[in-house]
Amino acid sequence: MRTFVGLISGGADIGRTRLFWISFGVVVLLFLLYPTQASAFRVSNVSFYLLNIPLGLGMALLWGYCGVLSFGHVAYFGVAGYTYGVIAGNMSGNPFGPLAGVAGGLLASMFVAGVFGYFVFYARVQKWIIPILTLVLTLLLETFLGQTAGYQWRVGSVLLGGYNGMTGIPWFQVGGFVFEGYSFYYLCLLLVLACYFGLRMLVNSNFGQVIVAIREDELRTELLGYDIRARQWVVFVLSAALAGLSGLLYVQWGNYITPSQVGLLQAALPVIWTAVGGTTSLLAVAISAFALNWITFTLSSQGNQYAMVIIGGLLVATMVFFPRGIVVMVAERLGRLMTRRAAPPRQP
Amino acid sequence: MVMEPTVAIETLSLNKTFGGVVAASNVNFKVLSGEFRCMIGPNGAGKSTLFAMLCGIETADSGQIFVFGQDVTHTQAFKRVRLGVGLTFQTNRAFHALSVRENLAIPQASARLENKEVGQARLEFALDAFGLDPNDEIKAAELSHNQLQWLEIAMVLVGYPNLILLDEPAAGMASEETLRTAKVLKHLNSTGLTTVVVEHDMAFVKDAAQTVTVLHQGKIFAEGSVADIIAHEDVRRIYLGRA
Repeated sequence: MRTFVGLISGGADIGRTRLFWISFGVVVLLFLLYPTQASAFRVSNVSFYLLNIPLGLGMALLWGYCGVLSFGHVAYFGVAGYTYGVIAGNMSGNPFGPLAGVAGGLLASMFVAGVFGYFVFYARVQKWIIPILTLVLTLLLETFLGQTAGYQWRVGSVLLGGYNGMTGIPWFQVGGFVFEGYSFYYLCLLLVLACYFGLRMLVNSNFGQVIVAIREDELRTELLGYDIRARQWVVFVLSAALAGLSGLLYVQWGNYITPSQVGLLQAALPVIWTAVGGTTSLLAVAISAFALNWITFTLSSQGNQYAMVIIGGLLVATMVFFPRGIVVMVAERLGRLMTRRAAPPRQP
Repeated sequence: MVMEPTVAIETLSLNKTFGGVVAASNVNFKVLSGEFRCMIGPNGAGKSTLFAMLCGIETADSGQIFVFGQDVTHTQAFKRVRLGVGLTFQTNRAFHALSVRENLAIPQASARLENKEVGQARLEFALDAFGLDPNDEIKAAELSHNQLQWLEIAMVLVGYPNLILLDEPAAGMASEETLRTAKVLKHLNSTGLTTVVVEHDMAFVKDAAQTVTVLHQGKIFAEGSVADIIAHEDVRRIYLGRA
């Protein structure tokens, strides 16, 4: 139990004080109560903001903690989403079809990341090349999926659909219980909390310390006896699984997926969420992913064509004024303020 | 019956060039277990390159490297560490963004189990002698230059090595700290830890070394006791300067 508490409350993420955990509990409670006060439409929108958080957390783990920037993590989002659509669609009517789709989607995204990551890390590709290679992978996937229009591009009874995408993807269900509307919202919330706490424990563990050491100095870490390639590979595959989880939740939420989900614009988003929140904090990236999705979704749904320009502007402003991320720097200032207030007054 | 001392590290006809620059030329280098060896030589003599090849950072163009009798010529760096080799760099490479405690915790999971008891005693001695608190939460970036150098030595000792390669461990230190470093390393060596040090500071070399190897233009130029090396006419000419 002590180990569990130590891993949860370790110093690898912001927020360790009693006040923080009370505030955290209050926010979770508000999220739990939200569906009782909001319309089904708004709850569905919040589900969308939540379902993107695992993708952001994976990016924080990979880039912020391990120092490897992937500009194409939406590829794994897309692989999981399409795979779920194919499996669950072909098992339509089977109450365990969506569950098989989830397993297949996660395994597919991890397999693609595993093969790609193996060649990248075991070939000791230089760090600055990795963002380009990952972007190329996702753009290739987008191009491939875009040309899959036509009846010949089907897997079983499911059409890939070209640029129009795959439609009619089944809801997630376990046995006879279908997750839609409010239940889907609670599923997203539960998974986000599980991912956050799981990753918080990971980054506070010895494994987490070693991946931070790899970020700081690969050679020094290797000369302390660690196979850094294996650890980078594990983190890469884990972050791809988190992207895959977001992809699964996305297709279960909207019942469709298009190649644009693995395109350039979408590829930039997790990088922006991470940079704006602060690369070195899981919580900061979770908050940033939620907030930026809310801003983008709200602006887009009101017909504002410049939603992405505004998000881009926010990124530039963050780089200039908050180089370590808005949430991280605000949290640091709040922490200093609290410490100053708690400190006894100086004697004259 | 007299036991033959084991060989900690040995190279056979080691060669390495960078473009047209010869960094190692037919280097046959041997250190016995428990020895305290210092390596000296002018800048560009190939000392750091030899260290880099010994621990697996650089690959030799030709030749062989043995660590405790095992051929490690093509063994990756992290696997050589697991055989008991520890290395500190010429430029300090402790993790500046992490605390002292975290810097010392990171090597723990990869520590070699077979040398635990004696390794732990060496680590505790070094931490005490260097004045480092293993539970200190201060960031390494806030430590002084000397403390950073000592922290990196302690980090290597956490892995319980049998052989440590130290590339200028006293670089940038004042004479008092240099001698303190030499004293600690001498004590560690007296517990059986084979120690190979690249060092320019002759006060350190005179104080600590049992044997000195002089490298010049990628070749072993001379080898012998400290007194022999200081008295060596050609070494005085190329490195120490004529009196």
